[in-house]
Amino acid sequence: MAKSPDDRGRLRRLWDWFWGPTAVLSVGFTLLAGFLAGIMFWGGFHWTLEATNSEEFCVGCHTMETNLGEYRETIHYNNHSGVRAICSDCHVPKEWNFKVKAKIMAVKDVYHEAVGSISTPEKYEDRRLHMAEAVWAKMKKSDSRECRNCHEFEYMDFTIQETRAASEHQRAIDTGMTCIDCHQGIAHKLPGGWQEAYEKMLDDIDAPRFAPDENVMLDTTETKQYLDGVRN
Amino acid sequence: MLEFLGTIGGNILSLPGILGLALGMMTRNVLLAGIMGGLVGIAETLIFAKMSFANVEPIELIVAIVVGIAAGCVGCAIRRKGTTV
Repeated sequence: MAKSPDDRGRLRRLWDWFWGPTAVLSVGFTLLAGFLAGIMFWGGFHWTLEATNSEEFCVGCHTMETNLGEYRETIHYNNHSGVRAICSDCHVPKEWNFKVKAKIMAVKDVYHEAVGSISTPEKYEDRRLHMAEAVWAKMKKSDSRECRNCHEFEYMDFTIQETRAASEHQRAIDTGMTCIDCHQGIAHKLPGGWQEAYEKMLDDIDAPRFAPDENVMLDTTETKQYLDGVRN
Repeated sequence: MLEFLGTIGGNILSLPGILGLALGMMTRNVLLAGIMGGLVGIAETLIFAKMSFANVEPIELIVAIVVGIAAGCVGCAIRRKGTTV
């Protein structure tokens, strides 16, 4: 004997209700309500994503204290013009597709905060190289996309740059180098053995190599000293 | 692994997932829905690669196409289940 509709389970009734025709709503009402609900959902979703891009959100976790302290000593935090780059400007892509991917991958940060992977200075130093390598690889693969949101070769006036900077930037254009090839450690301290690690990272991702040159791997300390000079 | 999951999630919430689903809902033909979704996947990857196949990473292209096809098919299923036309 067939079951009567009332014998259906709650989920089954909900399913049938969901796919049943509306008896009391006009097409126009349904369309407009769906349109408005879509706007509210998308607006809320986007607002939430943007909220997670704020500096306050990024440094809200205990494990970000070391990062924050180092970043505050750089020209990206404090400089003569007052224009600065916050965490998300360098670590979260602007383009939607890449941004969502970065946000999903950032779930791992929550995990590591929870298990305390870098909860002490010692643990942080142990993982510093690993974390730096991950960011370098990401930037190398994306042609330093996030750097280029603010810095573009096309708009650099080499005539007002330091001679060496102008020369190196011209060489970077000529040889297809990208920002991170020289500017590692621009916002955070470099780990020990970073040059060898960077070379290994290039091998790991099959990145194109450049002809050996005496200045291919710049001494980042010099770059930082120059930028600190500009800042002060 | 995390990067792969991120790529899938990014595509679901981007053109292949959303436009693919919408296009799929416009037809009862599942093959057509899948093709339209797949084309959206190709288009989206090209748009984000500045219209150059040289900038396209194969894994991202494949994921975008697969997500587009899946979204198109889901859209088609919604059309079949939810409408009489």
